[in-house]
Amino acid sequence: MTGPPPVRVEKALALLPELEALDPLRALLVSIARPDAHALWSSSGPYLTLGKRGVQPDELRRRMPQAFHRITGHLQALYREYVDALECQQAADPAGVVGALLRGGRLEERVARFTQARAWYAVALAVAEALQDRRPEVETLRAIGYVCMALGQYAEAARHFQRSLALAEAEFDQGGATGACEGLADAALAQGQWSGAHAWYSRGLRLAEAADDAVRAGRLQCQLGVVARHQGDLSAAGEFLREARERLESAGVADEMARVLNEQGRLDAQLGRHDAASAAYREALAWAQRTPGDAGDELSIRLNLAELDLDAGRLVEAEAELRRAEQVAIGGDLMLRLAQVYVLMGRLRGAQEDETGFVFFEQAIELATALDRSAATRAHVFFEYGLFRNRLGQRDEARAYLEQARELFASLGETAERERADAELRALTA
Amino acid sequence: MTPPTKTQNSPTSAVPRREDEGLLRILVVPGEGAGSATLLQNLRQWAEDGRLRLETAPDLPRAVRQLAASTWDVVLAVLGDRPDEDLSWWVDTLRAAAGGPRLIAAAQAPSMGLVLRAEQSGVLDVLSLPVRRDELMQALGRLRAVASEAAIPLPVVEPEVVGPYALVGQSPAMLDVYKQLARVAGSAATVLVQGESGTGKEVVARAIHMHGPKAAGGFVAVNCAAIPENLLESELFGHEKGAFTGAVTRKIGRFEQAASGTLFLDEIADMSLALQAKILRAVQEREIERVGGTGTIPVDVRLIAATNRDLKEAIKQGRFREDLYYRLAVITIRLPKLADRGDDLLLLTAYFVQVYAERYRKTIHAVSDRALDLLRGHAWVGNVRELRNVIERAVIVASDDTLRAEYLPDELRGEAAALADRPQGAPLTLAEMEARHIARVLAQTGGQIGAAAEILGIHRNTLTRKMKEYGL
Repeated sequence: MTGPPPVRVEKALALLPELEALDPLRALLVSIARPDAHALWSSSGPYLTLGKRGVQPDELRRRMPQAFHRITGHLQALYREYVDALECQQAADPAGVVGALLRGGRLEERVARFTQARAWYAVALAVAEALQDRRPEVETLRAIGYVCMALGQYAEAARHFQRSLALAEAEFDQGGATGACEGLADAALAQGQWSGAHAWYSRGLRLAEAADDAVRAGRLQCQLGVVARHQGDLSAAGEFLREARERLESAGVADEMARVLNEQGRLDAQLGRHDAASAAYREALAWAQRTPGDAGDELSIRLNLAELDLDAGRLVEAEAELRRAEQVAIGGDLMLRLAQVYVLMGRLRGAQEDETGFVFFEQAIELATALDRSAATRAHVFFEYGLFRNRLGQRDEARAYLEQARELFASLGETAERERADAELRALTA
Repeated sequence: MTPPTKTQNSPTSAVPRREDEGLLRILVVPGEGAGSATLLQNLRQWAEDGRLRLETAPDLPRAVRQLAASTWDVVLAVLGDRPDEDLSWWVDTLRAAAGGPRLIAAAQAPSMGLVLRAEQSGVLDVLSLPVRRDELMQALGRLRAVASEAAIPLPVVEPEVVGPYALVGQSPAMLDVYKQLARVAGSAATVLVQGESGTGKEVVARAIHMHGPKAAGGFVAVNCAAIPENLLESELFGHEKGAFTGAVTRKIGRFEQAASGTLFLDEIADMSLALQAKILRAVQEREIERVGGTGTIPVDVRLIAATNRDLKEAIKQGRFREDLYYRLAVITIRLPKLADRGDDLLLLTAYFVQVYAERYRKTIHAVSDRALDLLRGHAWVGNVRELRNVIERAVIVASDDTLRAEYLPDELRGEAAALADRPQGAPLTLAEMEARHIARVLAQTGGQIGAAAEILGIHRNTLTRKMKEYGL
């Protein structure tokens, strides 16, 4: 009555050429993969990763229309934006042309096609540069900045934000200037340049407050809280987050509330207030529930919750939360973030001194290499893998992974992370 | 066995608190629908004569704050336009709430699928909107009934310690295993341990090692199914530096690590045919070759293999080498399922309570009659491993000296709700019975339609149609 056993995802993916046109098929395959019923309670169950899940070819065939629907939906939306751009061109509305092209790029970004998004923005920029009104150019430069960040090109991103800011200031475009400051701050934050990030967020906040933009002001305060936490000024961080929370709650912005509470949880965790951190994360999850369609926030919160449990030695709870996070990542098509889930699962096994935990790092490396176009994820995986090996007393392997991590952090300009890798390497040699 | 004795309720448990004389604290989250004002009005009216204390929260985020601020017996939540999604958020939220409040969900015309999912998640009840007084009181009555759980003292277990594990059990099936163990331990023969997942194959392998001639050497375990196929060879045989990308240093494999000791190959059926050939060579020649190495290395290990699969069937399907099977199965030990071990369930429960109570610094001396019924009634697909996990989680959440039903996972409580919590005089319809059974089998197979269809004895297309029909 039953057919042949399911094909393991690791084997299924090995048969799928690395072609962009097949990305939706890859995403569908992963999303329908299920753990083998035998494996759930077997001794290999705790080590189950994406690669060990199984997929039934006939189910994939039956679900293919879903993938086609998504592809055609995406293409239709893109084509419509292009036709909109043409109509604006015909109506001698170049700002409209830029707007339509930017919307096309954003559609590409939403499905993580960053290189394609950049191509749309490049065309938009060429049109915007010829305009007397510089605001479309300000917006386009900011969009390019963020796509560069997504690709891990932080210096390039900062250059575009800087140009966007200069133009916005010259045009007295307060909204544009605020956005550019935020972009510059985000780029600095990603590279661990805390004081630079603080300066840019503060400047953006002043502009947002002057413009009475409560949501943006709340968001910038939240980010200032992030920076203050990184700088070790925890009371300032708490104050920024309190103010951000007040602003955002009265504005009723669910996704921003989820983010600020997530950050509040991290702060409480750093202060050793585990119960408060857990409560903040739980409330963050409740806000995230109100923004369906974007599983990214939920995943971040669940990872933080798991890390909290892990640090408190509540390993059973940590594992359960990580399995939920894994399901969110798989169901929400967040493959790039799945590597983060597996890194934490590996860390959990490390805490139990379980050597077989290396399988999670190997899976994370595979995901980061196959799916992630930026080197940032790989760098973090190597770093944590190095710590795992060191914990098990495998010093040579630990050193090799930490060196790879340091090299990648250095190439990305992630100063703080590179310094962490350096410190671990020094400790290893001492 | 000592007769059951009544125990005190936990001060933080979801059962009614004595100090409030049976007063139930209910947090109502009426949602934003048109009927929310009427619902609140009705509830306030019913609360006066129903020993209920009500508070309200406008939405999930605010409810989370109230749940963190104090303890509640029940949360009555109205599900929105996406009832399935809303339900899973509520279940997830309450899982983490202090005092373990129970959920009553209310929805517009709830589907059978929603009701079943709710039952499986341990939801106290799903009510149809508009909420009727008698239905709500019936659900709350079930919660009040929980207060009458009786405590049964747990026996003191003195296990046969086997490294980090222990052998526990006195059932005839286990006595057979002990006899086989005694017979094989003295020799250095290769042993194949067979049994379903979670029956304790590694524990038995360790026991053989500890009582065997190679006890002075190490016991090295490799889980063949856990390690990706492309890494398993180097894990077993080791590799030389630079043998492949990622081989940053020389690695000593598990065969060498187990020198003069025992190598335990768990889930051996999951190994590829190519690797099976290499294992066969290692067993026959007693030597191995590191990946990227040039010479052979002699190895002196006792091999114990284990599997939860039918290896003879795998041989027929061409998935397992027959010659390797006969090399491994010099002596075969078959382990019984937990369901076939009778009262070992109580001994194992007592043992795991002992272990985890010590680990999590708790004092637990008894199990409630209802909890024991739930444990006895469960299918235990994952055998002892599943029981161990259930008890560990229960001990973590326990807040008094008795292991109560409310500390057991939602799935176990849900199974009981589907059967026992049905109000008297309201038998299930045939369709309800069928839907419940299908849902249970699907849960057992982890949602795998093919496997579920096989258990149910119907074609997968029929099962798919029925799942659609019942909203599963």
